[in-house]
Amino acid sequence: MTKGIRIAVLTALLAVLGGGIYLALRSRAQSAKPASNESAAKQSPRLGAWVDEIVFREEADRAKALNMFEAGEIDVYGLGITDPELYRRIQASRVVQYEISYGSSSELTFNPVGPTFPKTGELNPFHVPAIREAINWLVDRDYVAEEIYGGLAVPRYLPLTTAFPDYARLADVARRLELHYSYDTEKAKAIITKEMRKLGAQLVNERWHYRGKPVRLIFLIRTEDQRREIGDYVATLLENVGFTVDRQYKTAAESSPIWIGGNPADGRWHIYTGGWVSLAIDRDQADMFNGYYTPRGRPDPLWQAYTPSPRLDKVAEILDRRDYNTWEERKELMTEALKLAMEDSVRVWLVDAVYVWPRRKEVVLAADLAGGISGSTLWPYTIRFVEGTGRRVNFANPSMLTEPWNPVAGSNWIFDNMITRGTQDLPAFPDPFTGLHWPQRVRTAEVYVQKGLPVTKTLDWLTLSFVPSIDVPPDAWIDWDAGGERFVTVREMHSKGLKARTRTVIHYADNLWETRWHDGNKLSLADFIFAFILGFDRGNPKSAIFDEAAVPALKTFLSHFRGARILEKNPLVVEIYSDQIFPDAETIAATRASDFYTNVPWHELALGVLAERSRQLAFSASKADRLKVDWLSYISGPSLPVLDRHLAAALKEGFLPYRNTLGEYTSQQEVTERYEKLRAWRQTRHHFWVSNGPFYLYSVHPVEKIVVIRRSESFSDPADKWVRFVEPQIADVEVSGPRIVKIGTPAEFQVQISFKGKPYPEKDLEFVRYMVFDSRGELVELANPESAGDGMWKITLGPKQTARLTSGSNRLELAVTSRLVALPSFRTFRFVTVKEETKLGLQGKTGADGQIEDGGSKIEDRKSRSSILNLLSSKISLADR
Amino acid sequence: MTFIRLLRYVVLRAASLFITVVVGVYLAILIANMGGYVDEIRKAQIREQVGATMLADQKLRTMPPNEVRRVIDQQIALEETRLGLDRPFLLRSFAYLSDALTLSLGRAERLTSDKGSRQVRDIILERLPATLLLFGTADLIVFFTAIFVALFLSRRYGSWLDKTVVALAPTSSAPAWFYGIFLILIFASVFRILPFGGMVDVPPPESALEYGLSVLQHLILPVSAILVGSLFIAIYNWRTFFLIYSSEDYVEVAKAKGLPSGAIERRYILRPTLPPIITSFAFALISLWSGAIILETVFSWPGLGRLLFQAVGLFDTPVIIGSVVIYAYLLALTVFLLDILYALVDPRVKVGGEAGRSL
Repeated sequence: MTKGIRIAVLTALLAVLGGGIYLALRSRAQSAKPASNESAAKQSPRLGAWVDEIVFREEADRAKALNMFEAGEIDVYGLGITDPELYRRIQASRVVQYEISYGSSSELTFNPVGPTFPKTGELNPFHVPAIREAINWLVDRDYVAEEIYGGLAVPRYLPLTTAFPDYARLADVARRLELHYSYDTEKAKAIITKEMRKLGAQLVNERWHYRGKPVRLIFLIRTEDQRREIGDYVATLLENVGFTVDRQYKTAAESSPIWIGGNPADGRWHIYTGGWVSLAIDRDQADMFNGYYTPRGRPDPLWQAYTPSPRLDKVAEILDRRDYNTWEERKELMTEALKLAMEDSVRVWLVDAVYVWPRRKEVVLAADLAGGISGSTLWPYTIRFVEGTGRRVNFANPSMLTEPWNPVAGSNWIFDNMITRGTQDLPAFPDPFTGLHWPQRVRTAEVYVQKGLPVTKTLDWLTLSFVPSIDVPPDAWIDWDAGGERFVTVREMHSKGLKARTRTVIHYADNLWETRWHDGNKLSLADFIFAFILGFDRGNPKSAIFDEAAVPALKTFLSHFRGARILEKNPLVVEIYSDQIFPDAETIAATRASDFYTNVPWHELALGVLAERSRQLAFSASKADRLKVDWLSYISGPSLPVLDRHLAAALKEGFLPYRNTLGEYTSQQEVTERYEKLRAWRQTRHHFWVSNGPFYLYSVHPVEKIVVIRRSESFSDPADKWVRFVEPQIADVEVSGPRIVKIGTPAEFQVQISFKGKPYPEKDLEFVRYMVFDSRGELVELANPESAGDGMWKITLGPKQTARLTSGSNRLELAVTSRLVALPSFRTFRFVTVKEETKLGLQGKTGADGQIEDGGSKIEDRKSRSSILNLLSSKISLADR
Repeated sequence: MTFIRLLRYVVLRAASLFITVVVGVYLAILIANMGGYVDEIRKAQIREQVGATMLADQKLRTMPPNEVRRVIDQQIALEETRLGLDRPFLLRSFAYLSDALTLSLGRAERLTSDKGSRQVRDIILERLPATLLLFGTADLIVFFTAIFVALFLSRRYGSWLDKTVVALAPTSSAPAWFYGIFLILIFASVFRILPFGGMVDVPPPESALEYGLSVLQHLILPVSAILVGSLFIAIYNWRTFFLIYSSEDYVEVAKAKGLPSGAIERRYILRPTLPPIITSFAFALISLWSGAIILETVFSWPGLGRLLFQAVGLFDTPVIIGSVVIYAYLLALTVFLLDILYALVDPRVKVGGEAGRSL
């Protein structure tokens, strides 16, 4: 090697290094400059999104993402964190704040076949409901929540998710059952011993034996998350009561063929560490019993092995059909179902996990109580910097652009959908804290429901009326004739007339037709009708774009759809007849509004239709694979040249799909204008993704995994329209009163309900209820406290009530539910009752730290509590339980 | 006669290498599918996913349970057909093999390319430039730096520089990604002068020049990690190798004749060591194909290693096999060409020579 070459190589290396460092420093300096930094005070009311631009990048490593927060590289992270260590880092950070959500739950799934497995002849103790039920007492859920989840979980005993409205509605029932099933090893052991002997098993050297062999339990333990530790913990408990446990550690892929794909009668497993995810608040969990405890729940072999008691089976079915007339009736059924489900315990619920979603302190946005940030519908409408408007938000997601984007049957990936939601507007939004829908592109709705159906209304943006019967008008559209390209009317299909359970009249926003698509075209009725047709056409075998994968969705829709009619075109008023009901009229109205709505213009979809008709691309993965063509993407890849060709042809021919019908709602001039604007859009933005949301898709960089969306200037809503949903108003409850009460004398307790130190408005509280449990755990009192104004409530226990208490420690349990947030708040206050004359007057108080304060001393209220949730107490009052 | 002998050797060598490729690829198909058990896994996954998705759909709630189950069964059947799970694995395994050997890489079953294509060819080609850029840059720097520094050190055995390199050689016992984490912590997290990862600035610069410079900037940390993780051991290895040749009698004679050290290095050390150097270089080049799973993940680099990892996780056999068969062909071709090259660069080697003399 010559000296010259050596010097050249070294110089080149230094040049690359120096250049890189220079660029790095330069880019830091540039990134420090906001795109625009206008002061909010100087602004006129801002329209559309608060921020100018959002840049999404991919970052799968959560720990690294936290470092990036500190370095100012990212502002929001789209993945919930469940690692306690990372959570502690977030708490210690001066720049990171967080949102919380209840995204998943863990449970133990039991194999109910038995008493012996037909294939192996081995004993399956979990065939016996009493043994399954005993596991509820065997497991310490507080330990699971505190130690295994590091506090990022809430104990869960019942089929109801602890953060959803049904749990709040049934708070008193739930609390009683939770106390009944609270941790009691001895009780569990006694029941297991009794039942095992009944099965013919013998305890030899502290090990259960059956027919001379140890009773071996095969435990499928998932390894990807905290379920590994849960599995080990439960396995140890089972070993402690005499079982021999074969711990089989498996991933999802390894365990699926065994627990859900295999026949449970084969005896390849006894217990499985199950987990379930909810991405949105479910306001009606009445179907949980049918879904999780009866063979009707799923077609899988495991569900077919379920043998619920006849009564549980019946109650579950009634609840699943919503076959009740009043909320009182529903509550009775739910109460019974909860009790029976716990006795059945074919699965034992353990915890609801708490997800922590980090963001920089200066950035706020609405997170969903169930789906967090990635599942939030309102995030694009609420994301902003605390100080000022404009600027760029840097967003990181664990993965993106995993599948092609098309609005018909494209990527269903949660992180892709999160971005596309930023570009698409909806007719109504679910409240991120209650799940109740609020109108966005709808002004009002009239919901008519057949008398006797259990539907209620909470919000004022709609009306609810009960009518004896609902006749569908003969000229309403009920189906689509793919051959004739025209709607089929009720008169043609039901000559004797047709009835429906609901009629919903949707009054869309007055300025609907003034709003524009991102490519500059105005929304029109043709867009709505095209989308409506497409839903029928893709599932119709006679259609040129028939797709087998679209059939189930169409069948589902047709099973309840009873007709639709346009009452007025401007402003748009549509009535929709359906047999589908939901407990909330808001959900009915929002669902029906979305039946006749679109956030994709017809001229964009028409190109896809042309490509699919010519068998070059397909909307769905299923059809693309069948035709061996590409899955249609409107944003990148080999689909774009195909769409370009079809755009050119459509423009040349003035192509209007479904002309027979759609021709009535648009003109040839508009057709040409639409394609021309789309062509200009494609030339500028290099993609075909056009919608009507607060942001438009500015650029996509698929290999680099970067997506840029920018504020749409044409979005006309005020930026602060949804700002009230940025923070859940979870009630903070404090109780004070005498810590020692003499039996037979009155006692008075004060309750303070507040949010951020201010009294919680009484009108926003759904109910405040208290329960008194005596020292034996028996419920002796269930009532509502009296309001004393300004967030204060009073509980008075009269002499007769305290006379029913026995000597010892009693629990006063407060349950508070709000109309503003589904998450109920609980507070426990312990007091002692004494028979004899005692020097009284000791006052106690429970505070956010969960301790009873009395003078200088502190008495711990409840020993086992979720440590991290204590720290979250300002956000989650469940911590106070 | 020489031509026939050469031709016979070439044909036999090509045939034996092809059989090796066939066996290797079929074994890869069997392993990737766990001998067919993956079908069971995928069927169960489909069942689980379809069931969960459908039951979470509020719109299904008004349908009778039997109808819901029918819809679920229909969806499951549709998905199984789409993925070819309705055909026995054995039949599919031969179809995979035949497609792979003819390089008809076909369609992926689960993955799509970043741009949205299902073609395995597109999926692989899309990630290839990023992989070649990162590992090509790093491996070439490592290779040539190691060769030249080693040659330099072999002539300065025992010097402080030689001792330093020997002392630093154990640093390569840790993988590059391990150093990558530290480099990110130091230069991105603490000093904030280099990016945390990715291939380009976020958002990407719009001009080509700035884009290119940004990519260079993003290359610094991963390339540095690879250099720290492999450079010193490479220098040490080559230095030891060259030392053996440096002590040969003919080198000593050359030194005694007073030839300049550059000429000694080129003529008397480099030339006889050329076959192993070429072999090493060739294998370094084809190793680029596989990328590096963890390093790419640490630096969020969109390379082939992460792609293969994703494909394995999703049991996407066509992508796995596509990647394997290209590597197998590249390997076979390299071995084949090296046989020829050896004969060209080393006069002691004869292709297709008599028994006991040929390679």
